[in-house]
Amino acid sequence: MCLGIPGKITAIRDDAGLTMGVVDFGGIRRDVCLQYVSDEVAIGDYVIVHVGFAITRVDEDEARRTFEVLREMSQLEELDWMADVADASLKDTEKRA
Amino acid sequence: MTHQPANPAHLSCPAPLEATDRVQLGHGSGGRLSAQLVARQFLPAFGNPALEALGDASIVTVPAGELAVSTDSFVVHPLEFPGGNIGSLAVHGTINDVAMMGARPICLTAGFVLEEGLSFAVLDRVIAEMARAAREAGVPIVAGDTKVVERGKADGLYINTTGLGAVDTQFQPAPARAQVGDVVLVSAPIARHGMAIMAAREGLQFESAITSDTACLTPLVDALRPLGMDVHVLRDPTRGGVASTLNEIAVASGFGVEIDEPAIPVPGDVRAACEMLGLDPLYVANEGVLVAFVAAARADEALRALRAHPLGAEAVALGRVVAAHPRLVALRTALGSTRIVDLLPGDQLPRIC
Amino acid sequence: MRYLAEYRDPAIAKALIDRITTRATRRWTLMEVCGGQTHTIVRQGIDEFLDSAVEMIHGPGCPVCVTPLEQIDKALAIAAQPNVIFTSFGDMLRVPGSDCDLQQVRARGGDVKVVYSPLDALALARKHPEREVVFFAVGFETTAPANAMAVWRARELGVRNFSVLVSHVTVPPAITAILEAPDNRVQGFLAAGHVCAVMGYTEYEPIAARYRVPIIVTGFEPVDILEGIAMAVAQLEEGRHEVENQYVRSVRRLGTEPARALVAQVFELTDRPWRGIGTIPMSGLRLRDEFSAYDAERKFGVEGLRVTEPADCRAGDVLTGRIKPPQCTAFGTRCTPEHPLGAPMVSSEGACSAYFNLAKYRRGEGAEVGA
Repeated sequence: MCLGIPGKITAIRDDAGLTMGVVDFGGIRRDVCLQYVSDEVAIGDYVIVHVGFAITRVDEDEARRTFEVLREMSQLEELDWMADVADASLKDTEKRA
Repeated sequence: MTHQPANPAHLSCPAPLEATDRVQLGHGSGGRLSAQLVARQFLPAFGNPALEALGDASIVTVPAGELAVSTDSFVVHPLEFPGGNIGSLAVHGTINDVAMMGARPICLTAGFVLEEGLSFAVLDRVIAEMARAAREAGVPIVAGDTKVVERGKADGLYINTTGLGAVDTQFQPAPARAQVGDVVLVSAPIARHGMAIMAAREGLQFESAITSDTACLTPLVDALRPLGMDVHVLRDPTRGGVASTLNEIAVASGFGVEIDEPAIPVPGDVRAACEMLGLDPLYVANEGVLVAFVAAARADEALRALRAHPLGAEAVALGRVVAAHPRLVALRTALGSTRIVDLLPGDQLPRIC
Repeated sequence: MRYLAEYRDPAIAKALIDRITTRATRRWTLMEVCGGQTHTIVRQGIDEFLDSAVEMIHGPGCPVCVTPLEQIDKALAIAAQPNVIFTSFGDMLRVPGSDCDLQQVRARGGDVKVVYSPLDALALARKHPEREVVFFAVGFETTAPANAMAVWRARELGVRNFSVLVSHVTVPPAITAILEAPDNRVQGFLAAGHVCAVMGYTEYEPIAARYRVPIIVTGFEPVDILEGIAMAVAQLEEGRHEVENQYVRSVRRLGTEPARALVAQVFELTDRPWRGIGTIPMSGLRLRDEFSAYDAERKFGVEGLRVTEPADCRAGDVLTGRIKPPQCTAFGTRCTPEHPLGAPMVSSEGACSAYFNLAKYRRGEGAEVGA
């Protein structure tokens, strides 16, 4: 149900009417049925593969965009923390002055 | 009277005299076919004086003192896989078990149960691997036995090997000797053997360059030998993987073991194969890796010693022995949470969920 | 691995945890439906980090856990037959039926094989025309397109010795059933990312509106799950109840239409019992009549088997979040991973087996090797 992992299409072929392909998952490759995404994929695209079938194409632009948002947020959180630490130490210095 | 040559097709003798490319029941009978098998297949490959004497038992000289003895049976399927075959495992596996006690391996025996119909081509490759592995390890196969069983009763071939080693009184690792504060080292990236086998299994096949890590570990053990009694435990995590081995040591010693998830070394393609099948690399078999529990003060030295050898070039520290959660193995995630790494009830199964 | 490893980034995860715990003004109750999400949450300890802000209830999102007992028993009966090669995903092998499990059937001589894909099972059938190959077609909507294609292809190629034992379930009726329960405490859902990759998420929009619950389509890595939870908490704090998509890289609103289309051609909706929960109307898939030649139940005449569920297994209450596993009287005593009474103790992300390990840790116990 859930175990779908992303992989990159390296080859596409027709197997007696069924669109099949080879997908590379970080160094290992497997035959995958591409029939369900055949209209929207080309070699080099990433797909999510579940039990030997590509169930969807990975939208790399969306992935990039949303990941940047996440990364910025995490850096902001770090900046917030640093600001908090700076504030605290400032207060400390003021107290002692 | 003209002498007609007998038509082999009319012979009912179960051991026909013509050449064959497959193992037959007659090869295990102790008669001429058996002798041929020994003379043509086994002796040339394993050749050494003790074996060639062909007595009912072989005579070997052993040093004075205690002996370490280990026996193991090998039933792997498929028989051949990238990086080796059942023969490699049979030699390496038993030598390694002896070496994990700190003992110096002396000799091996090898018993074969062959399935009727096994191709000689396969048998030859298995024997060749065993011969090569034994020669490289400097450990002769001094005694052997062969039986043949009916088709369907043996999955191709089974091998049992027994190994003898000379105990080193200055170097005696044992699972119960783990101490709080010990550093847990692993000699190489894990899960390669198990995933190499998985890739070859019918129903799961995938293309990969993953090869079994099967290897003789005595050079690594010898590299650690100068640390003497500060090496508390040595184990090779075969079936059940690193997780099972660490659990066994935790239970034997009565202490807890803690490992750091980011430190676990898994090659990229092995990790990808595990992701695809939903398997945890910690439970996947290894055949060329050792785990060492070393007194904290000498852990760096032990790491350097391992890394000096090609088999240990990527050795890393995995974790430590702790007083907390006795007899349990805990794993700290990159997030900082902790979970138990338990023994599995059976084999890990590929999952979809 | 690309599009996987970066979603495990600890710094981003910690920032999300922070965001959730500071944003929440009270403790909210959320349910993740998918077993793969439960797996990540439990293994990464995410529920512990969020404890002050969120209670995570683990939903019935593991097809292994909810496969009805009668389907398991049918599988066991078919697998035991002499000429059959019974193929299955690995998850199902240790799930207990009334009497035993598939591993035990194999030990007794049944030809039971684990396969990765239903197409592998079909290939086996073509390779062994003299044997009957049966595939145990379990799963949610994510797996239905694969199983549909195997049947479709078998018919196209004229393969006669292949059939499927179907036990598909669908997610939206289960969510509705949970929301309809009078004692329901769930205030928001993480919808299953790969189910939605196939089906899209239009089916959840009326549910969110009617029951006034946020439903976030969420992925499976720690960052995905935390982002999904953050989106749910934000909605709850703001009094919104919409369907939102966290898993944008893999999910589009209408899903993968060719997959939906073939599933609709091969399967139809039917009432389905969920193990431990009971029958949820129109929550299952069965083969349409024109594919009846591929229905293993008809081929092997196993329709209508009697079932006896172990009386003290409370899987249903666990799966719907009514009780936590330690509250079951059999937990850790009569029911352990070594001898499970029900599926949530078998499956590696079943709530019961997850709690079993946590419980041992908290008590400071260690396992006896070989026990």
